[in-house]
Amino acid sequence: MEKASHLSVIVDLSPTQWHLSAQTSNQYPLSIETFLSQLLAFLNAHIASKHENSLVVFGALPGKSVLLYSSTELLSDDVPSLDANSYLPFKLVDSTVVQRIMNEFDAIGELEEEPSCALVGAVTKALCYINRITHPSSTTAGVAEDPSIVHDPRILILSVSPDLSSSYIPIMNAIFSAQKLKVTIDVCKVYGPDTVFLQQAAHLTNGSYIYLERRDALLQYLIMSFLSPTSIRKILAVPKQDKIDFRAACFCHKNIVDIGFVCSVCLSIFCQPLPVCSTCSFLSIHSNDSMLLAPFSLLQTHA
Amino acid sequence: MPVQSLQNTDVIVPQHTPHPLLPFLQSQSQTTLTRLYQRPSSCLSIFRLLGPIERQLIMNLLWLESALSVATISAWVLPEGKDAYDSALAVMTGLHIAQNSAVKLALNPTFKSSLRQAITGGGSTGSFGVPTDKDGKRQSANIENLDAYALERWETILHYMVSSGQGQNPTKPSQGVLYLLQRSGLMNNAHGPALQITSSGFQFLLHSPHDQLWNLLLQYLHMAEERQMDLVEVLSFLFMLSTMDLGREYSTEPLSETQKAMLEDLRDYGLVWQRKTSSKRFSPTRLATTLTSSSPPLPSSHSTGGSHTADGTGAVALSSGAAQQGFIVLETNYRIYAYTDNPLQTAVLNLFITMKYRFPNLVVGMLTRESVRKALGNGISADQIISYLTTHAHPQMRKNNPLLPVTVQDQIRLWELERNRLKSAEGYLYKDFASQADYEYVLAYAKQLDVVLWENASKRCFFGTLEGHANVRGFIERRTGSV
Repeated sequence: MEKASHLSVIVDLSPTQWHLSAQTSNQYPLSIETFLSQLLAFLNAHIASKHENSLVVFGALPGKSVLLYSSTELLSDDVPSLDANSYLPFKLVDSTVVQRIMNEFDAIGELEEEPSCALVGAVTKALCYINRITHPSSTTAGVAEDPSIVHDPRILILSVSPDLSSSYIPIMNAIFSAQKLKVTIDVCKVYGPDTVFLQQAAHLTNGSYIYLERRDALLQYLIMSFLSPTSIRKILAVPKQDKIDFRAACFCHKNIVDIGFVCSVCLSIFCQPLPVCSTCSFLSIHSNDSMLLAPFSLLQTHA
Repeated sequence: MPVQSLQNTDVIVPQHTPHPLLPFLQSQSQTTLTRLYQRPSSCLSIFRLLGPIERQLIMNLLWLESALSVATISAWVLPEGKDAYDSALAVMTGLHIAQNSAVKLALNPTFKSSLRQAITGGGSTGSFGVPTDKDGKRQSANIENLDAYALERWETILHYMVSSGQGQNPTKPSQGVLYLLQRSGLMNNAHGPALQITSSGFQFLLHSPHDQLWNLLLQYLHMAEERQMDLVEVLSFLFMLSTMDLGREYSTEPLSETQKAMLEDLRDYGLVWQRKTSSKRFSPTRLATTLTSSSPPLPSSHSTGGSHTADGTGAVALSSGAAQQGFIVLETNYRIYAYTDNPLQTAVLNLFITMKYRFPNLVVGMLTRESVRKALGNGISADQIISYLTTHAHPQMRKNNPLLPVTVQDQIRLWELERNRLKSAEGYLYKDFASQADYEYVLAYAKQLDVVLWENASKRCFFGTLEGHANVRGFIERRTGSV
């Protein structure tokens, strides 16, 4: 029996980036309205594929992350009225997601400086959610053949913001937990330059990272690359990146470094040699010069 | 090397058994199907019945305006998945969803626009059912009542079947249901006026409720064809029901005459609920709304474990797991403890176990040679018994690996093999050959044709199949003629 699949979608909702993305000076301008309408069609396609498929949508807003939609719990009390021309679950997703995004945007208000988007927070919440549904409470744990227990959970990150080097460590931690939970992380870079960390996230969890070149064909990209569960990807190929940036961010200034210095005890990365490791306070008394830490090239590309 | 072997099994392409409805749809004409595809709800439901590869292919093609060349599409397919891809494509063309010429592949335009409409909403086809306004005077049926109603109807049918052979007199389902059971060959009246369960009926009882439901509906569809009902209307009504929301009331106004007539039949099967026969509104039950899913169509057959009933739309997905709990404990000493007070489950178990004791919530029995042979004699196979025990195993049993004791599984299979000691085949015995050389010469020829079933060199005779007889006889005649 074919198993249900779970999809957690994380939408980067940085107002500044979306404003930039909608500028007509871009080759393919993409406003958040068009983006949302295509995203909703994709979400509906996921629900359409199987009755038991579950879906969660998280939004990464400046300074906080919020749950926008969850197929297992009702978030708003006002269930949209039925109409004869649309399938109720689809309508529920569409109205809930749009309504909650609007509420969140209204709540942002005037700010001097926009805080960075809480992408990591959203990823972590998505992982917690997956952990909850893949390991149901002990009372029902025995029912192994229940089709509603998901088997290949996936996370799809739709990113528009550039890398935030200060979030290097939390992102790596999230990637490692995803590996443990056997969660595939897919990344679609909708706007902005390639992000190093998300490339690594997709690579390490066997997902696919796609840089959106033709932004007017967003929906086709989403459906062809991110709709299929992992079992289908063994039959119908999805694009994988051929080049991955493996660079890391240093722990001292949070810069992305090509060549770093690695503490020989705790493997912390620094952009310059230090006499004492700031993470584990390792002090090498045997060394004469200040190069206590071994230089280590972080620039590799994946074949 | 356990890790290695685990990874290997991962690579195996997931097997998807096609839904029983698909062959029926494939046998329909292209015009019928195209008419069916005009309704978005039908497209959505059919889409869900398809296998995962078909679904992904359809989605890939759905938003494209022009046809894609076959070469481009096959570039997506990994070498290991070639067979699966080919069969998926065959299913799609069989259903006329895809138009496959030698070089281009595109979706059926009707199907494409309807499925697009289903996903984006809008249009004015009204194919997802017209809901009625809240009625202030009467409270609409809540989900609990609907579940109870569906369960009661369904179990009446099954219980009638299971007890028909035992001289009991359970409540009879309606005339329409009886006719359907008889038509589908699940029951017949070969021995006297009363309907008796047949061997396929016994097998039917051990299937999952979802399979049982579709089995009956398929028969209904065949019957609809004979009753001159418009198949498109019948099918689209079923698909419409499957996309409706549980616990709501829909209006009967926009339904066609055929569909109104169907309401009556479906009420008997427990798929829809109506306050009165003349009521202008109806509610689908869980049997109907889960038609295109694999979640259990019936909330729970336990009346004792009723605490798990779903209490809202949101809770359904999570609680359906609890509702499916099994109740059977099977020990290595062939003893079965079934925690149930449901007469239907007891009756089904009684098909293949010898009952020992009955308590208010517990039935104890033994799997014995006699009881299993009785079941085998009724046409139930060993695999069906084992799969029934597996699907209904008690949560405590789930801790065991393998789930059922191997000794018991093997013994059930051995009891089945016992019955298969004799194998019969129709054919011809060739004997009284004049010389050993003659015999060997003919035998060698027959062996070449692969028609020899049995041979005995000392008696100079062999037994060939019916199909090979003409050839072998001709060979012998040519030989005797030439001598």
